[in-house]
Formats: sequence, C-alpha cells, structure tokens
Amino acid sequence: MMSLSGRYSNRCLHHGHSGGGCHECHHDCHDRQKPEDVLYDRMVRFINDLRAQGMPVGLRETGDMLTALELVGFEDRDTVRAVMRAILAGTKREQEVFDRLFGLYFVSREEFEKNRQAMAQAQAELEARRRELEETLSVNGKPIELREDLKDVYAKMPQSERDRLRDIADKFSGKMEHAPKLYEGFIRSVFMKSLLEQQMVLEDAAEGAMPLDSDADLMFRDISNFKDSEIPRAYQLIDQVTRRINGEIVARRKAAGRSAALDFRRTIRAGLSTGGALCRLKHKKRHSRRKRVVMLCDVSGSMLQFSEFAIRFIKSLSEVSDHSEIFLFSEQVQRVSPFALEDMSRFGSYARTSGVWGRGTNAGRALEAVMDVRPAVLTPHTVLIVLSDAKSVDLNRAETALSQAKRQAGGVVWMNPIPEAKWQYLRGVMRLKEHCDMVPCGTLDELARACAKLM
Amino acid sequence: MQEALNALKAKLNEENYIADDALAATLFIAMKLNRPLLIEGAAGVGKTEVAKAAARAFGRELVRLQCYEGLDESKALYEWNYQKQLLAIQMGQGREAGMSDLFGEAYLLERPLLKSIRAEKPVVLLVDEIDKADAEFEAFLLELLSEMQVTIPEYGTVKARSLPFIVLTSNHTRPLSEALRRRCAYLYIDYPDVRREIEILRAKLPGLDEALAAQVARAAAYLRQSEKVTKKPSVAESLDWAEALMALGAQELDEDSAAQTLGFALKNNDDIREILADDEFIRTIL
Repeated sequence: MMSLSGRYSNRCLHHGHSGGGCHECHHDCHDRQKPEDVLYDRMVRFINDLRAQGMPVGLRETGDMLTALELVGFEDRDTVRAVMRAILAGTKREQEVFDRLFGLYFVSREEFEKNRQAMAQAQAELEARRRELEETLSVNGKPIELREDLKDVYAKMPQSERDRLRDIADKFSGKMEHAPKLYEGFIRSVFMKSLLEQQMVLEDAAEGAMPLDSDADLMFRDISNFKDSEIPRAYQLIDQVTRRINGEIVARRKAAGRSAALDFRRTIRAGLSTGGALCRLKHKKRHSRRKRVVMLCDVSGSMLQFSEFAIRFIKSLSEVSDHSEIFLFSEQVQRVSPFALEDMSRFGSYARTSGVWGRGTNAGRALEAVMDVRPAVLTPHTVLIVLSDAKSVDLNRAETALSQAKRQAGGVVWMNPIPEAKWQYLRGVMRLKEHCDMVPCGTLDELARACAKLM
Repeated sequence: MQEALNALKAKLNEENYIADDALAATLFIAMKLNRPLLIEGAAGVGKTEVAKAAARAFGRELVRLQCYEGLDESKALYEWNYQKQLLAIQMGQGREAGMSDLFGEAYLLERPLLKSIRAEKPVVLLVDEIDKADAEFEAFLLELLSEMQVTIPEYGTVKARSLPFIVLTSNHTRPLSEALRRRCAYLYIDYPDVRREIEILRAKLPGLDEALAAQVARAAAYLRQSEKVTKKPSVAESLDWAEALMALGAQELDEDSAAQTLGFALKNNDDIREILADDEFIRTIL
C-alpha cells in the first residue's frame, strides 16, 4: 500500500515545516493540510523537481497522469510508479531520474510510519542541541550569531566535534579581556570553518543516502565514492553511454548535412538518368571539422580515478574528436605518448609510474607548460579540457595562465568532479571558473552530459 | 484494479509472453488512455513481441509497419493506383465523372497506417524500429499519434473508424524527437533477470528441462555482464541457444556442449574465444 502521507506530509501551513512541531511558530501547529491537498501539493512539487532535472513534463502529461492514477488507484505503490513513469519519463535516462525522485517523494506506508517516528525523535534531539548551542556557545556573554542553517549543522554534528568547539570557546574565553575583538573574531572563524566543513560532509552523506540500485546508482553516484569492485561496471556503462552519444552525433550530423546548399553540378548529373528532369536534388555536404582536443589531467592523489573516467569518455567519443593530446599534471607536467594510452586499462599504472602522481596541484605551472610546447598544441581549432578539482596552489598564477590559454585555444572547458553546490565554499573554484567554462562532472551522468556538450 | 492487471498478465502469459508488473501496468494504462506506447530497449529483449502478444491476447488484428531509411508516406500511408487512374482516363470515365473522382476511394491503395485507422474493428498497429526511419517520417506520424487521423492532400482528412492501439519500437540508434516522445507512453525493456529468463525459456520451449533452462539463463546473464563480450546475447539468442542444446540432446550445459553451441548466443569470433578461455564462465555454468 502506498502512503498518501510521505516526505512532505504533516506540514505546517504557516511555514511549511514538516514533523510534529514548527520551530518558527514555537508551538505545535494544528492547521495541517487535508490528505488530498497533501497529495496534490506533493504531486506539484514532484513534477517541479522533475522539470528542474530537465524533464519536459507539460500540462498534458500531468493531466494524463492524474487520469491514469484515477484508473489504477493507489493500492499498489509499484503500479503507481510504473504508470507515472510510463507517462512522465520519455527516455531511459529520464526513467532513472524519475525513479530517484519517486523514492524520495512517495514512500510505502510501513516506511512512512518508521520515518515519521524517526523524524519526530530526530526533531526533538535537534531542538535540544540548538538550545544547547545558544546556551553554551557564547562570546563575552553574548550567544554567537550564526545563520539558521549553520545552527542546524551544529545540531547534527557528532558529539566529539561539538565538544571540541566548546573546549575552544572555553579555552579562549579567559583571554577575551586582553583583546576582545581579536579573540571574538578568532573563535568565530574557527566555528565557521568547522561548520562549513561539517556542512559539506552532511551534504555528501545525504547524496549517498539516496535509495538507488544497479546502473542508475553508478550513473548518479559521486565518482569518488565508487568501490574498486564497481569500477569494471562503470567502464561498461561508459562504453554504453558513449556508443549512444556517438550515434546521436552521427544522426545530428546527417540531418544537418541534408539541409545544406544545393549542389547544382551533382543535381544536373543525376538528372541525366531521368531525361534531364531534376527529380533528385543533391545537396552539398556540410564540411564538419572534428575538434582537436588537448586534455590536461590532474593526477594528484584522489583525482586519478576521475581523470581516468573522463579520458575514457572523451577518447571513446570518436565523433567528437579525431585527435587528442594528453598531459598529466600535479606539481609537474608530463606529456603522454599517444601509444601509451592505446589500452586504457594501463592508464592507472602508467600514471602511478609517471613521476607526477600523488603530489599537490599546481594548475598555473601546468597550463604554462602546455602553452610553451612547440610546435604549439593550443590553436584556435583546439579545445583545452582541464580535468581537475581546481584546488590549486598559487591561484594568481593559475588565473593568469588560464586566461592566456583561453586566448590561445578555441575554447577551455574545465571538468570539475566537485558537485556544483559545493563550489561556493572553494576559493580556487570560484576564482578559476571566471576564466573558463567550468562544468560539474562529479557523476558519470554529469560527465556524459558534459562530453556530449563538447559538440 | 489489481485484478485487472493480473488478468492482463495472465492473458499475456497464455500467449507465452512473460510480463512483469511494470510492463503490465504500462500496457494497461496506455490502452485505457488510448495513448501510443513507445518501447525502447536493446535488440532482442522482446519489444516487438509485446505488440504481437497484445494483439493475440485481445483478439485484434496486427498491422505491422517495418521502418527503414527512405520510408515515405506512399509506402506507409497510401498510394494512388496509377494504372487504374490511367485506364479510367483512357476509357473516358475520368472526363464523364470529373477529374476529382480520379482521386476517390476507388483509386486509393491502403498502406499499413491507413489500413489500421480505416479498419472496422480496432487493430494493434506496430510501427517497428521507428529509429530506422528518417526524421521527416517521424514528423509525419505526429498527426496520427495525437489526433488519430491522417490527411491526404487530394482526398481530405481520414478520421479513425476505430481507434488502433499503436506500439512503436526503437533500438535507440538515433534519438527520437521530443514531440514524438511526448505523445507516447514510454516503456524501457531491459534484459530479464535469471528468474524471469528461466520462465521465458520454459514458456517458449515447453520441452526444455528446468535445470538446463536455469543453466542457460545463468550463462546468458554472465555473458551480458562480462566486459569481454562486445555483442551481448539477447533473449532471442538465449532461446536459440537452449533450442540448439535440446536439438543436440544435451542434458546439461557443460564445457563441451558450450563449445559446440556458443555460436548461437555469441555472434563474434573474438567473443567466443575469450569466453571459452574464461574459467569463471565455466564455473558459472557448472
């Protein structure tokens, strides 16, 4: 049985908070929505979320879905899912997106009851910790002013982390009288750093908690979280996806070729076979120049796996580029011989023995080295693809080199494995993305979309 | 509601089509809403078979249009009977009755699409491998899919006498237009899991031993997930494989019988060589 009440049920009408009490009202809200309103509200939110994920769900689809649901009823959750999916999702990728979101919005009744109890308990604990924050963490007798979301982060922190922050506040509060502003600023900055780090950890945990399975799981999961045993399957998925993208590109080229200008000479020659009647029009073929790609791959420690996935993608997309140059970099740069990566299964061992693997990242030096190569590899017909998390030393140098590279190359695309939501916390990302087209590539799905967009 | 779905599954089952819950629910709702059903999936997973089984299960005639590059409306929808028109003109009938009659009912040759909407009783129209047809043909289909009517310039608009249930299949060799997708309910058929494949093998090949069916299904599942295999075996190929084993009189799938019959599942010499040298494959089937 599917529950009409799920993730967004039991909602406070004033502030939209779910759960037993609303902390903004400071009382138990009794003005709850009616079950049918909850259902429609959730359907609307669900469809909006599908649209936000790029699915073209129009009014017609919504109407048909509601008619279909009236027909099948809500007794069986799997049937409801199959019916909604058939109408709302039009491709395999859309089906995967649909399944991922459906699991979040519509839960089974048993699961809902379990979640509700857990949520009520968690809500009570969170409230207690928020009160604890206000009572215990104060500077000069005043509670530390924090944004509401950071208070929630504090409440969700492990006990050991909360104790550590409290110790720091206690330790330095004795020295406050010497330089109150200095120590207040110091304690505040320590707090902010810890809380922002914790926020990133919590976001990671939330992503990992999505109930996914099999291929969809691998396609949408953070690449850095892949287990070794899952890597071969990921390679197969990359093959499947690139085959599809190649097919799409060929079809697009073919369609584009047809609409080019008329080729009079060939049309008249073809007309000779029908007595001079120009029955078959011949069109000039549109000249399509494939791109030359230069890849600058960060192989500093954890970036190795991501770089390997990205290179596999780009190399397999034969329709995107017919020629590619690969450079590995960390603090040093090394040009990769074209024959060395014929067999991509050797990439890992090649990179590890290259002498550049596992060090820090100096993107500025690497970009300069690529620009200095003679004969020049960066030309107006080249696309420079940087595969890196942009956590580089000497950001000024990296910025300058990147803007120079952008002038030399036909385009610069920075594929970043860090999820876009976290970019705001990283100074290097925020500064470097001003000088190039930076695209999030944290998952295989994002990587595939970024590679397809290279066209 | 659940009874109706179970009844549909049972009907498909009687026609030797083992449908899972998602397929039955999608088929049911597409028929109820009279929405075309677009089925995608790898080659040989049983996309075309859905239309055939549905036609048999509901006692409807199956009208099939096989798509290919260059398919146009004269082969898919209608064509004028030019010979008959010429004869009519020569006999003077055209002059007497007015030239417009030359483009009348008597001179119209029905092709699958027109046949399906002019049928007295509703039919199942299978537009097979729509991805093989040109994008122009796909656009031409839109009127039929959304309005259940077609327009013949010299004749006028032909509305459906009975509403056909339209099934489109695609192997995704090229992406279909958004407009076409929006008009259809969508179903993706993946390779079956081992349990379902055993059911399919047993349903399609009644004389097949249960243990042998299980071995073939396990081996097919292994071949599909193996990185060494470039062309994955479809359900149709595992059926061929099982049938070949039955014809050989093999009681079980072992190293020898696998070496003799693997060509029915794998269609590439490199794949066969790699798999026969793979110890894990032998362990899987044993």
